[in-house]
Amino acid sequence: MSTLDFFDRQKVGDSITYLSVFQTLRNEGLESVVKLLRKEILRQNASLLVFDGLLNARDRAETELDVKTFVAEVQSQAAFVDCTVLFLTSTRDADSSPEHTMVDGVIDLCDDIAGARRIRRLQIMKSRGSRSIGGYHQYAIRSDGISIYPRLESRQGLQADDPVTTRCRAGVTGLDRLIGGGLPQGSVTLLMGPTGSGKTSLGLNFIAAASPEEPVLHFGFFETSKRLRLKAGALGIELPDQNGLTILWNPLVENLIDKLGQRLLDAVRTGGIKRLFLDGLGGFERAGAERTRFVEFFAALTNELRQLGVTTIATWEMRTLFGPALEAPSPEISALLDNLILLRQVEVRSRMLRAVAVLKMRDSDHDPRLHKFSIGRGGIEIVGPFEAADDAITGLARPEGR
Amino acid sequence: MASIVIADDEFLLADMLCMLLEDEGHAISTALDGEEALRLVREQHPALLITDFMMPKMTGLELAETLRQDGFKEMPIILVSGAQGAIARTRRELFNAILDKPYDNQELLDLVAKLV
Repeated sequence: MSTLDFFDRQKVGDSITYLSVFQTLRNEGLESVVKLLRKEILRQNASLLVFDGLLNARDRAETELDVKTFVAEVQSQAAFVDCTVLFLTSTRDADSSPEHTMVDGVIDLCDDIAGARRIRRLQIMKSRGSRSIGGYHQYAIRSDGISIYPRLESRQGLQADDPVTTRCRAGVTGLDRLIGGGLPQGSVTLLMGPTGSGKTSLGLNFIAAASPEEPVLHFGFFETSKRLRLKAGALGIELPDQNGLTILWNPLVENLIDKLGQRLLDAVRTGGIKRLFLDGLGGFERAGAERTRFVEFFAALTNELRQLGVTTIATWEMRTLFGPALEAPSPEISALLDNLILLRQVEVRSRMLRAVAVLKMRDSDHDPRLHKFSIGRGGIEIVGPFEAADDAITGLARPEGR
Repeated sequence: MASIVIADDEFLLADMLCMLLEDEGHAISTALDGEEALRLVREQHPALLITDFMMPKMTGLELAETLRQDGFKEMPIILVSGAQGAIARTRRELFNAILDKPYDNQELLDLVAKLV
């Protein structure tokens, strides 16, 4: 126990007492244990009794009724002096455990293997007199104790956001013209493109365009704060200082999807964030042990961000650099997004050109034409529309007239 | 050979200590709580009491206090304790020795040899 941060040696023997009732249980039986516990609760003036090893009591009991009687007696003795009781037991056959009917609450902790990794999940199986969120919630045990991450989609309210017509600058020279005057405030934009297509650079422009009244959060999986600032420096983009810009890096290791979601929303709330660049939506997808949840999770996350009035750009990495296939996230995910912008490299007359296409802008006019852009000093700049290259968006362009 | 009373609610620890001292040729009685230990000491007038701190019914500290007021002023008492050594050390006069768990068996045997 001393490896836990909150372990306080001073409290042991003073306000925390550890007693073994094993011998009493073995030699004298459950009734004597009840008597002993009653005496000890009074003697220690205890407000909490943790009874570790209810399974032993079950083994000692002759009938199920004996176990129920034991649990009921311990509870009533403790309740009499306002002492809370926590019984710890193994879930041998959880549903048929006789003690479940006697207690006020049942929390089931489980430990699963998903692929090669271990996932700890808990569920509230019973909570008498108070509402609980059913189903499994992930939790972690670290040196600061247990942290529970309720499923994001299960705890967010159903309030609709209040759409506003205010636009905010995307920060990329020429882009605002293509998207009807800027990104609608509080909207969620997905920026799709293969690796090296300029997603992170566009993000840096978006971050740099924030006014001092718009605190920014960069929530990513790839660049640390230092690397990001280095990259911005190389592009000649001036990022807000640490007061205006929070950079949260989440290494792509074994993450918990709800922990990530909570970290993101906590940072948005505490920092009063108005602009969010979420670099790598795939990082969330990878962190989810159950792929089937991702749509609901993402719906809850985006709803919350809209309600908080955060203008969000999230990136989605496409696997193919070239080719006719354009894989977007699943159709359900795309439907949850307000805007969709695609970045690609296309081949025109044996030269690689960078192209941007606005595929979707919710409730606003946009320029449907494919545009060239460049990445140089100051970041991304929209150069102008492509002349005519029928299939340029797939990366397989042909010049006109051929 | 000496008669020794061991008081510890952790029966595995009490058993282990009991065997260790029996191997040395001592006669051991074990108690699983403070009250039982008090009764055993009053009955047997042992040469030494080895007691745990946290026990049901009566702590090792309370046990020692009672015994010292009860005419057992000279009987050596060793306190073996997990995390409460510090509390016990504020009442140093009650104990002849205080050992923190986990203790070294040889250290305990040497101490016993010195006290009995």
